[in-house]
Amino acid sequence: MSVPDYMQCAEDHQTVLVVVQPVGIVPEDQFFKIYKRIASVSQVNIRDSQRILIRYRHHYLPENNEWGDFQTHRKVVGLISITTCATSKEWPQTAERFHGQKEVYSSTLYDSRLLVFGLSGEITEQQRTDVAFYPSFEECSDVEKRVEDFVESIYIVLESKRLDRATDKSGDKIPLLCVPFEKKDFVGLDTDSRHYKKRCQGRMRKHVGDLCLQAGMLQDALVHYHMAVELLRGVNDFLWLGAALEGLCSASVIFHYPGGTAGKMMGRKQSISQPLDAGKRHRAGAQEVLIDPGALTTNGISADTSTEIGRAKNCLSPEDIIEKYKEAISYYGKYKNAGVIELEACVKAVRVLAIQKRAREASDFLQNAVYINLGQLSEEEKIQRYSILSELYELIGFHRKSAFFKRVAAMQCVAPTIPEPGWRACYKLLLETLPGYSLSLDPKDFSKGTHRGWAAVQMRLLHELVYASRRMGNPALSVRHLSFLLQTMLDFLSDQEKKEVTQSLENYTSKCPGGMEIITLPDGLKLPPVPFTKLPIVRSVKLLNLPVSLRPHKVKGLLGQNISNASPFIYSPIIMHNRGEERCKKIDFQWVQGDVCEVQLMVYNPMPYELRVENMGLLTSGVEFESLPAALSLPAESGLYPVTLVGVPRTAGNITVNGYHTSVFGVTSDCLLDGLPSVKTSGCLVEVIPALPRLQLQTSLPRSGTLCTLSFALVSTHLRKLHSNGSMRVSVYFDQILLHPRLATLYPNGKFLEKVFGEFLSWELDEALSHLPLKPGQSVTLTVNIKVKLDFSGQENLLQDLNDDGISVTGLPISSPLRQVLKPRAETKPVGSESSKAEYSHIKTLEAVLNFKYSGGAGKVEGYYRELSLGVHVDVEPSVFFTRVSTLPATSTRHCHLLLDIFNPTEHELTVRAKNNQDLVLHASECQRMAIQVDKFDFESLPQPDQESIRFSNPKQLEEERQHAQGCQINSKLGICWKASVEGVLNQLVLEHLQLAPLQWDVLVNKKPCDCDVIADCKVGDAVSLEVKLTNRSKNSVGPLALNVVPYQDYQNGVQNYDLEDGVTFIGSNTFYIDTVKPNESTVCEGALLFLYTGDFYLSIKFQDDSAGRELPLAWFTLPSVHIRALDTPPQAGA
Amino acid sequence: MNTNMAVCIAVIAKENYPLYIRSVPTQNELKFHYTVHTSLDVVEEKISAVGKALGDQRELYLGLLYPTEDYKMFRKLHNSFTDVMCNPFHNPGDTIQSKAFDGIVSGMMVQTA
Repeated sequence: MSVPDYMQCAEDHQTVLVVVQPVGIVPEDQFFKIYKRIASVSQVNIRDSQRILIRYRHHYLPENNEWGDFQTHRKVVGLISITTCATSKEWPQTAERFHGQKEVYSSTLYDSRLLVFGLSGEITEQQRTDVAFYPSFEECSDVEKRVEDFVESIYIVLESKRLDRATDKSGDKIPLLCVPFEKKDFVGLDTDSRHYKKRCQGRMRKHVGDLCLQAGMLQDALVHYHMAVELLRGVNDFLWLGAALEGLCSASVIFHYPGGTAGKMMGRKQSISQPLDAGKRHRAGAQEVLIDPGALTTNGISADTSTEIGRAKNCLSPEDIIEKYKEAISYYGKYKNAGVIELEACVKAVRVLAIQKRAREASDFLQNAVYINLGQLSEEEKIQRYSILSELYELIGFHRKSAFFKRVAAMQCVAPTIPEPGWRACYKLLLETLPGYSLSLDPKDFSKGTHRGWAAVQMRLLHELVYASRRMGNPALSVRHLSFLLQTMLDFLSDQEKKEVTQSLENYTSKCPGGMEIITLPDGLKLPPVPFTKLPIVRSVKLLNLPVSLRPHKVKGLLGQNISNASPFIYSPIIMHNRGEERCKKIDFQWVQGDVCEVQLMVYNPMPYELRVENMGLLTSGVEFESLPAALSLPAESGLYPVTLVGVPRTAGNITVNGYHTSVFGVTSDCLLDGLPSVKTSGCLVEVIPALPRLQLQTSLPRSGTLCTLSFALVSTHLRKLHSNGSMRVSVYFDQILLHPRLATLYPNGKFLEKVFGEFLSWELDEALSHLPLKPGQSVTLTVNIKVKLDFSGQENLLQDLNDDGISVTGLPISSPLRQVLKPRAETKPVGSESSKAEYSHIKTLEAVLNFKYSGGAGKVEGYYRELSLGVHVDVEPSVFFTRVSTLPATSTRHCHLLLDIFNPTEHELTVRAKNNQDLVLHASECQRMAIQVDKFDFESLPQPDQESIRFSNPKQLEEERQHAQGCQINSKLGICWKASVEGVLNQLVLEHLQLAPLQWDVLVNKKPCDCDVIADCKVGDAVSLEVKLTNRSKNSVGPLALNVVPYQDYQNGVQNYDLEDGVTFIGSNTFYIDTVKPNESTVCEGALLFLYTGDFYLSIKFQDDSAGRELPLAWFTLPSVHIRALDTPPQAGA
Repeated sequence: MNTNMAVCIAVIAKENYPLYIRSVPTQNELKFHYTVHTSLDVVEEKISAVGKALGDQRELYLGLLYPTEDYKMFRKLHNSFTDVMCNPFHNPGDTIQSKAFDGIVSGMMVQTA
């Protein structure tokens, strides 16, 4: 006996075994149809009080039948053969076969039947109890009746046998019952020994107990079993003692659990209520048996069977059942050949414990069962064994162990030793293990909260599912499982595993791309799609507004209309409240039909390598939306990475962004935001308004990308350098680039951000307006004039700045009337460095924004328009700086040198030209000094000597010098001039220096004018006449004045010797008195000097301090110094 | 000395996932995973039995699943576990990543290398 019947349960002990088998050729389906009808007769009531239960098998090993004496329910007592017989000719052959079949079980058979189908004719007329004829499989209405009769006949045999054995207690000669493997052990044993007799007795008792149980006499059976236990315990016949104990258990189980312990596994549902009733009836009857004194005499073996008063005393309590089972199994365990019996006993005990809900003890039994060695098992038997273990664990609620064994069974299906691995069976079994590992194949179960279950084991299982499905030849299934693995177990995969999984996924998808469809398995299991919400992980979804220039604006007047339509109330908090939820999701800007709209996702790649996401697009609803998918490549372990998905709404209305779709590793996924609670979003509902035209604005100037001085972005035009007093024309083009024919209306509206001087911007609208409305593709040009005239003068601080830096070295007050000797310095000083250049960048900036409103098409009907803004940014800077202006007296008092330090702050070459001077070329950022010799101006000669005219005349005179500012070549056409700046600077400085002093002093030595460093020669000892002439050109009288002539010698080493009492003698006074000189008059004072020695002498003519009131400018009183060289009379000269 | 040492130590969260699992023969870790996982059935059985007895008031202390007094390591392990739980930076439910705990566990394991 090697094949265990895992389906057995304790109550099977009360059944009789009937084998139903086909004889000859019987179609399988027909056979099982008949078999089912036969099997429906599972219980037959006999004479009201008795009932008999039948167990049918269509396959039973004769080997197992040999254990029939050991446990009678293993004995085949009935045989029903089913056969087809077309003609009567075949009949003898068929009958022969039937007999042959009977032979197989002949040793145990009580009775047999043959059901013949398809035969009609005279043979059928013969009345035979053991043969029934039916014309066909359809016409056999009394099969059940026949079977019942058959069972009754079996019962009669059974009852007779029972009575035969039960009454046979005289002990004459009880045969020794034994199991097949015992037979050889008893050869030559002393059959007369007491021990042997007892053994025979005990075994027979047990056998009778079995028969009683089968015959439905529960209490009798209990009594017999107790006796058998007692007898067999005495002789240490352990195998049979175990069987007796098990019988006791079975009987008790039948008593306690009339519903059966097998659960739904056995096909006995239809008769469940009957045995219940029968059982109750029977128990009542059993009480009577109990009172039977004969029975009582053999009672009282087990103390605890009688503990409960009012109960069937011989019946074991539920706890005892388990105890006895344990004992029985331990006895079975002593015999290697009784492995099957032991295993089956374990299974039965587990079922009992499952009913008792004692899972832990049941698991002990199962644990034991696992270790029972049945010798060499075929692969199929192994699978069966593991499956049944799994089922039993399931029965006691040990889902994990159940799953474990099921998985082992699944692996057994595809063991390498099996020539044709059953991948399908393996896959099916693996699927059944899923609940045990708390794994469902729906990714939604994993999207929330913490991960459920045991990741390491779950991962293993998923890998096995993938492999099994691949071997099954269902790549779609493997892709689905692998996707699931990647999606749900991502956090638990190591970097290496991630790589492997994705690689194999890519391999699979190259043959069978993964999609979003639900995969339905043949057994009805549905595999939901697995969207890759973690590849990449999306953190936030943000709908972006249109670019400023394309944003629609609502015409204010129309807005009011809409509100009044919606509600008669201006404000209603109730409505607001009701719509609260809706509103918080709706975004307060609009998209425009036909315009590209953007949604920004912040994505994150959790993979340790670059992730290629293809075909990433938006999933929307509400409006026809043309999604323009993007492909992106995310670097490994990237941080948050912005991705913009775009699309074009094709109709107007409310659009909802539901999610996005991706294609990663060949698996396309639709990721809905509803299922992604971790995604932050500021609302996904936005209104799409009807199409509006689109204008593009271009200017004739280069477009600047970086204008951030204004808070909003503009189509900006950046005039980098517009030099002071320049003007230029900018053409603004409007291109209608909308594709469908709509008419655009243009409403220009100039708006200044900054108040600027004068006419900064001006334009002529009429011409542009005459071209409106614009047809698609057309453009219109609007000319905007930019004109700048800025005054940079009066910026004292500017000059101060310039003086402070190294360029202006002297540091002397510019207005000093004294002759200044400037230190010599480099004529040109290139200013190349950026820093110094920056100091000169005294740029004024002018900015303006031109707004154009336009509308058209369906959007105009709805009251929307668009605004286009042109930012004009003009940097104005002076073209020339006069960083320093000074004068140097010329040798003649009628001339002077005007020194101009000219700095060119522009980036262009500049030519500066002055009258009588050669052109001075100034390179960019170069500073040069220009010296211009100028005649001093005679204001008297000017026609209008009043103050006003002086102001006026100055520019005119200076114009000659100022011709040098030709402006830079590029801006020359702009006619740059810097009049104002020169006025400002020069006015103050030059006026005093360039004018001829109103008091003109002429010094004559020996009647010769002495000026311009002319050296007057004289002889020692001769009187030298000195004449000082004052001409008053001012409007007022001057004087009286006192002049003091002081002679001195200059040693040319910085020492001046004024102590010349001995050297120079004045003839007359050395002081000249000048009376009041009226305007346009002149006075001459004369004196004489006598030089006593030779030498170079200087005469310093100074005003005596006490003389004139100093209301007049000092410069007016500048007298030339006189240089006289006194010589000896040369002898040759005298000759 | 090695005979009484553990080969696999696991701490399981009450939501049925491992907070910590470590086994010494690392090459066959999965086997231990399976063993520990299947052994949870008994724990679950115990919990459900307790739950039935006390109604809603679920007592999560299961009593001794094993003769802990025979093995000092259980007390040690439990003490270390309490230390981990007392760490204010430990989020209950997170896997245990404490070096101290790791050290204690290592001390209990069979040193096979």
